[in-house]
Amino acid sequence: MKLFSQHGALQGGKTIDGIAKGYVDGIIYSPRDIKASKLKDHVDEVAGVNPVADQFFDPQYYAGFNVSDSDARRGYLATAEFADYFRIRRRRDLESGLDKIREDIRNCLKFQEGFSLTGLVSPNILITRSLDSIEGVISKNFIRQAGELHAKLLLKKPLYITLALSREALMDKHELVAFLTDITLLDKVPTGFYLLVAARQEEARTDIYSADVIGAWMLINYTLALNGYHVINGYSDILTPFLGAAGAAAGATGWWSNLRTFSLSRFLPATGGRLPIQRYLSKTLLNRIAYFELDKLRRICPKVLNRLETDGLYDAEEGSLPDRAKEVWQSWEATRSLCGDLCKGDTKSDLDRCRRAISTAYRAYDEVGAAIDAIDPKSNSDHLPALEEGLKVFSRLAEIPNPSGETM
Amino acid sequence: MPIAPLSPDVVRQKISGIDVVEPSPICGGFKAVYRAIVRGKTEALKILTIKRGDDPDLEEAYVQEQLARVGREIDALAKSKCPEIVKLGSIAPQDFDVETEKYFAYSEEFISGKNLWDLLRDGSRMPPELPELLVLFIALLNCVEELWALGYVHRDIKPQNVMKTGDVTRPFVLLDLGIAYAVHEVGLTYRPGERMPLATYRYLAPEMMEPDFRDRLDFRTDLYTTGMTVYEYAAGKHPLARDTDDLMRTISRALRQPPTPLQNHRADLPRAFCELIDTFLKKKPALRPANLTLVRRKLEDLR
Repeated sequence: MKLFSQHGALQGGKTIDGIAKGYVDGIIYSPRDIKASKLKDHVDEVAGVNPVADQFFDPQYYAGFNVSDSDARRGYLATAEFADYFRIRRRRDLESGLDKIREDIRNCLKFQEGFSLTGLVSPNILITRSLDSIEGVISKNFIRQAGELHAKLLLKKPLYITLALSREALMDKHELVAFLTDITLLDKVPTGFYLLVAARQEEARTDIYSADVIGAWMLINYTLALNGYHVINGYSDILTPFLGAAGAAAGATGWWSNLRTFSLSRFLPATGGRLPIQRYLSKTLLNRIAYFELDKLRRICPKVLNRLETDGLYDAEEGSLPDRAKEVWQSWEATRSLCGDLCKGDTKSDLDRCRRAISTAYRAYDEVGAAIDAIDPKSNSDHLPALEEGLKVFSRLAEIPNPSGETM
Repeated sequence: MPIAPLSPDVVRQKISGIDVVEPSPICGGFKAVYRAIVRGKTEALKILTIKRGDDPDLEEAYVQEQLARVGREIDALAKSKCPEIVKLGSIAPQDFDVETEKYFAYSEEFISGKNLWDLLRDGSRMPPELPELLVLFIALLNCVEELWALGYVHRDIKPQNVMKTGDVTRPFVLLDLGIAYAVHEVGLTYRPGERMPLATYRYLAPEMMEPDFRDRLDFRTDLYTTGMTVYEYAAGKHPLARDTDDLMRTISRALRQPPTPLQNHRADLPRAFCELIDTFLKKKPALRPANLTLVRRKLEDLR
C-alpha cells in the first residue's frame, strides 16, 4: 500500500524531500495551505522529483459550513484563490435539490483538471452525527452525482469520491452497514474513495483510538476494496497499516497533529497553543514517544528503535533531539515500513500480522515500564486495547473468522 | 401443499394447439408443470391455479396479485436475452375457468437434463471439477446480471431451479422466475395470513428476513443464492442447513451461523475459488462483491 504526505501549513521542503528519499509515495494537497497560483509549480516540482509520485487535491469542501466566521482559520480556502469551485453553502442550500450539488461538483472537478494531478477528488460534506440523517442523504447525493458528472463531462483522470464521516456517525453499525450497502451500488462507479474519519478535535486521541471507530473505519475500507474501489485514507497516520490490512490502497499523514488526525477544528478559530515536542514513531510500540524518552530507552530497551535510515535524525549525541523540520520523515519512513511488514495483500494473514504486532507492542511496553519510571501520557500503551478490540470489531462486522473461529 | 393437477384431457380442451400432454405433471403449491407437445415440439406447459384466499373481502386483490406475479415472470422471460435463462414457449399466456376454479397457463421451452438438486441426491455422482464449477458459476452470474439490468431480482436461485443440460453451448439453464421481484414496481402483498417472503427457506438470503427488505433488495440477494447453489453443488452439502433442521433452525442458521468454508469440504479446489464462493455467502449484502466485472476477472484467472 502507499503512504502520502498530508499537506498542511509550513510545508517547506518536507514533502519534496520526503518523496525524493522514498519515504512517501505522493501528496494530498490542502487548499487551505497553498495558493492556487503556487499549486501548479508545486505539482510540477513533485513530478520533477518523482514522475510517478501520486498527487491528489483535497477540495476541503466539507469545511464550507465552518469557515464563514470572520476568525475562522480558512487560510486560502475561502478566498479568491479557490473561488472557481469553493462555495460557503448552508445546509439548506444542499437539501433542496441537486442543482447546487451538481454545480459544485462540476466546478471542483474542472478546477482540478487544470493541474497535472493523478486523479480528481470530488467534494462532499462531513456527516457529523448519523448516517441516517439529512447530512447522510446529502452526502450520498454528492457520491452519486460525482460519478454521473465525471462520466458526463468525459473527464479522463480517475475519480475519487470524498467520503467524510465523523466518529459519531460510525457508532450505529446498522446504519453504517445500510450506508455501505447503498454506496457500493453506484450506477457510475468511481476509481475510488478519499475517506476521512473526523475526531471532534485533532488532539482528542481517544476519539479515533476507540475500538468502534477503528473497527468501523476498517470495515469501510474492506467493503469498498471488496467492490474494487481504491480507498485513500486521509489523516490515517499510524492506523494506516491496519486500514491496509482491511484493503486500503493508501493512507496519509503529516507533520502537525492536525495532519495526523482529521478534524474540522483545524478550520475553527484558534485557541492558542505551543509547539509540540518532537517525537519518534516506534514500530514496535505502534506509537510515538517523546525524543527524551527515546534517549533513555535506546540504551536500556533498544527494541523501541526501528533501525531505519531516519533513526539517524535522532542523534544520541544530541540527546536524540531531531531537527523539527525533519521529524516527519521519521514518521513517514516508520509508517511505510510498518505497512510493508503488516500488509501483504491477504486480509486474513494481514490481520494475524496486526494481532501479532499488538502482542509484541504489549510485551515491549512491559519492558519500557520496567525500564523507566514514568512515561508521557501520549507515549503510553493506552492505544493498544483499542487497536486489539478494534480488530475484533472489524472481524465481527466483516464476518471474517478470527483465530478462535468466531465471527458474530 | 401441492395443488391437484388438471387431467390432460381438460388441458387439451382448454388450451388450443397442444398435441399431447404428459399425464403426470410436476406439482408445486401454485402450479403444475406438464411436458407437452405443441405443434410437434416439446415444451414445458405451466398451469397456475389462481387461489381465491379465505377472506371474501380480499378475494379480488388476491387474484390480481397472483396474476401480477405471473405477468411479471412472463415479462422478465420475454425481455431476457441471456442464453442461460429459460425462454418462453409458443403457448401465449391465457386464463380459463374449470368449474368454479380459475387457471392461468403459458409455456416455456423444454429443457432436457437434470436439475442440480436431483444430481446432488445421486449417490454415484463424483464431485464436480473446477472447470464445471466455473461454468456453472459464470452461467448464474450471467443470469443475475441480466435480470438486474432488466430491473429484476430472481430471489429463488437454488439447485432445483438450475438444469444441467448436457448441451455444451448452454450447459446450465436457470428456471422459474415465479417470485422474481421487480425493483421499480409496487411490491406485491404477501399471501393473507403469511408474514414471511416467498422463497425456499433453505436458500433464503438473510436480508429477505428483514421487515423492510423490499426497500433494500438488489441483485446481491441473488449473489447469495448463487453462492449457495455453487457451494452445495461443489461440496455436496448445503452450506448451512441440515436435513433434520426445522424451519426456525434453518432461518436461525441463515441469520447467524457462518458457513463452513468451502475449502474444508473441497481441499482439492483452489483456495481463491473457495474464498470467492465464501464471500458470496456473507450475511450483509454490502460484503458480497457487487462488481461482477472484477469477479469475472478472478474467475478467468482460475481457468
